[in-house]
Order: sequence, then structure tokens, then C-alpha cells
Amino acid sequence: MATDNDSRLSQFRKGVVELAIFALLHHGEAYGGEIVERLGSHPGLAISAGTVYPLLSRLKKAGLIDSAWRESPVGPPRKYYRLTASGDIELASMATAWDGVTDAMDELLGKGTS
Amino acid sequence: MMNTAQERADSMLTPEAAALVETYFSRVHGALLVAAAGECEEAVDDLRTHVLEALAGSAGTSDDVTRILAELGTPEALAAQCADSSDELSSDDVPSHDERRTVLVGRVLGLPYDWRVPTASRVARRWWDPLNPQIVVARVFGIGWTVNYGALAVRLGLVRPDDEDVPFEQVPRRWLAAALVLPLVVTAGLIVLFALFQAGLPDQVATHYAPDGSADGFSSKGVALLLPAAVALFGVAMAAWTWVRKRPALPRVAAGALATMLAGVSIGIYGQSVAQAHGTPGLTILLSALAGAIVLPFLLLVILSRVGRAAEQRRDLKAASKKGSV
Repeated sequence: MATDNDSRLSQFRKGVVELAIFALLHHGEAYGGEIVERLGSHPGLAISAGTVYPLLSRLKKAGLIDSAWRESPVGPPRKYYRLTASGDIELASMATAWDGVTDAMDELLGKGTS
Repeated sequence: MMNTAQERADSMLTPEAAALVETYFSRVHGALLVAAAGECEEAVDDLRTHVLEALAGSAGTSDDVTRILAELGTPEALAAQCADSSDELSSDDVPSHDERRTVLVGRVLGLPYDWRVPTASRVARRWWDPLNPQIVVARVFGIGWTVNYGALAVRLGLVRPDDEDVPFEQVPRRWLAAALVLPLVVTAGLIVLFALFQAGLPDQVATHYAPDGSADGFSSKGVALLLPAAVALFGVAMAAWTWVRKRPALPRVAAGALATMLAGVSIGIYGQSVAQAHGTPGLTILLSALAGAIVLPFLLLVILSRVGRAAEQRRDLKAASKKGSV
């Protein structure tokens, strides 16, 4: 069924979005709207504000990221997110796991289609 | 993260004892994360406050802490127990994919239903969930849908989804009190109406209306008074109960918003009966009271959320100017 397929895809993306947020914050801190915009520029991830904000909240509760209000160069103060020390560790281990998964999948999918 | 009760209790503990409490509860939270039982966090925070209150009556040594924590069992067992007993739906769980759903929650003919006893926290999470972009969400009790005021406020650009880490948590107490004062004021308005008009009403008054505004149902004037009074008082009692039980800020504010709505609806129902008895045509009174019953709770939620955001900003910007930016 189409809905089953959709939900399988969204489950599958959920884990990836987490890694995407870690990777983005690894390059420096960012505020919510910026994270949504920058991840949204990758259509393949199909990320919306509705995915990013609940995830940011959960990652913060888990202590993997941290946030603080700061003056912004333009406009009102913004809430900036950054990786915590345990977030850095999580990113490293997830990135390694990701490499393993992509290598394996490339091989499997490559064999399947050729 | 700490509320004032915790800070007070913490200061009475020896550093070792405070560390024991800290370790215990971070293990519970860790176990909850593993069990994906985020909806238990609130209950665990309540428990923590309770433990600290119990410790406040002791000498506050490590022995006291060990004795009290031993009664709770291991952190992992406590977390598992909470995860089992919890039947809450989290905001990002689509009900049709929720494995824990029971006959009490589900869908009938495409309409969502939920017959579990409504709790203040469940009302709270549906009514104010700015992280969830869905404006129309399943009802807390009954069949159909209700409005997620948080999503509406985000859509209208009044708040951002992540303005507050934990909704209303940082709202100063004197502002939080508005969540109790507002329904009390609206209920007081209802009582004033009773005092002004009840004696002058005829024995039978209109209590039900056709769409064109003509009355098509009548009750004794006692019933016309008792029903709205009971509805308004139920709301106020529920709101007050969240304060008596020292619930977190979100349930307090949501209960206040719901109580304001119920009191507003009551004014509409009673006011319309009075208007009919005085020969005022149309449903103006009822409809304007209903509009108020929808708008007032929304204003309460939005204003308190913005007060909470301002408090977070004050906290962070002050810390940054002290230490230099991070």
C-alpha cells in the first residue's frame, strides 16, 4: 500500500536526518530556521520544519546538542544549536556506521541493478 | 532545568547526597531514552521534586538519599515500570502506527477517537505542541479533532517552534498565575450575571436554539443556571488541581486555557438564556461568547509562551555577557 510505503520511507529518513543535523552542526552552530533551510536545500532528504524541530528537541533532551539564545547580527535574538561533547562522539560513531551501510548498500544495489 | 523547589532542596543536601540524586535521575532519564518513553519524563521530574521534598525534611546526608532512593528501586526498573504503565501517544506518533494503541484509542469511519480519561498533561500536549506543524489534531477526549493552538501560533508567526525548550517552564510565577486568574475572572463574570439576572428570569427559559436563533428547547431556570455553573466550576477546579498537585507549567497553563474556554462557553449559554427572556432576538450573545471562548485561551497560551521565551533570552543573554560568548 502507498501509505505503508510512505511511512517506511519516512522511518528510514528519520535516522538519516539525525545524522544530517549532527553533520551540519559539526561545521558550526546554527539556529532552527537555518537548519531547516540548509537541510531543506537537499530535496533527497525530504526534510521539513515538522521533522527538524521535534528532532532538535529530542536531541537536546538526550544531551547530544545544546542551545542558547544569542544576539543575532540582524533582527531579534536567535536560539543557536551546537553539538555537545557527547554529540561529537555520537557523530563520529554514526558517521562510521553510515560509511559501512553505504558501502554495503552500494554493493548490494549495484549488483541488483546491473 | 531546575525549578525553585529543587534549588531550595538541593541547597540543603550535602554535595555527595546531591550527586547521588543527580546520578540516580540521569540514569532514569537515560533508561527512558532507550525505552523511547519520552512521555514519562514529566512523571519522573515530578518524582524527583517529590524525592527532594522528602529529603528536605531529613539531614540531607548521603545515607538519607540512599535510603529514599532504595525505596524507588533501581533507575532502570523505575524507567521500565513507567514506560509500561504509560499509554500516552507522543506528538510525532501517528495513531495508526502506534503499537501501544488499545480499544480506547483508534479510528472509526475515519474519525479518530480517544476514550481514555483526559489528563491535564494529555490536554496540554494536544493544545500546545508548537513542534508539531499540524493545526488540527485528534481530540483529547471523544470523537473528532481539536486545534493545536501551538501550531496555529507558529503558522501565524506569533511564536517559533523552538522558542521555548520546555513550554512555559521559564515563565515567572507571577505570569504563570495568569493561567489561574483568567478562568477565575471569567467565572466571576458568570457569577455576576447570575446575581444580576437569575431572580428576574421566568420559570422556564430557552436553553436550545434553531439555526435562525429562535428558541426550540426550554428548561427550568434552575437548570439553566446549574448546567453552566457546573461546567465553569469543573474547569476552575481542574485548573486549581494542577496547582495543588504542583504539576509542571505546561499542564497548568493548558488547564487554565481549557477552564477559560469552559467558563466562556458557560457565559454564552447562560447569557443567551437571559437575552431570550428579555426578548433580544438572534444569537449574538451566544456567538460572541463562543468567539471569546476560543480567542481568550489562545491569547493566554501565546502571551505566556512569549513571556517564557523572553525569560529564556534574559537567562542566556545575561550569561553570555558575563562569560563572553560561547
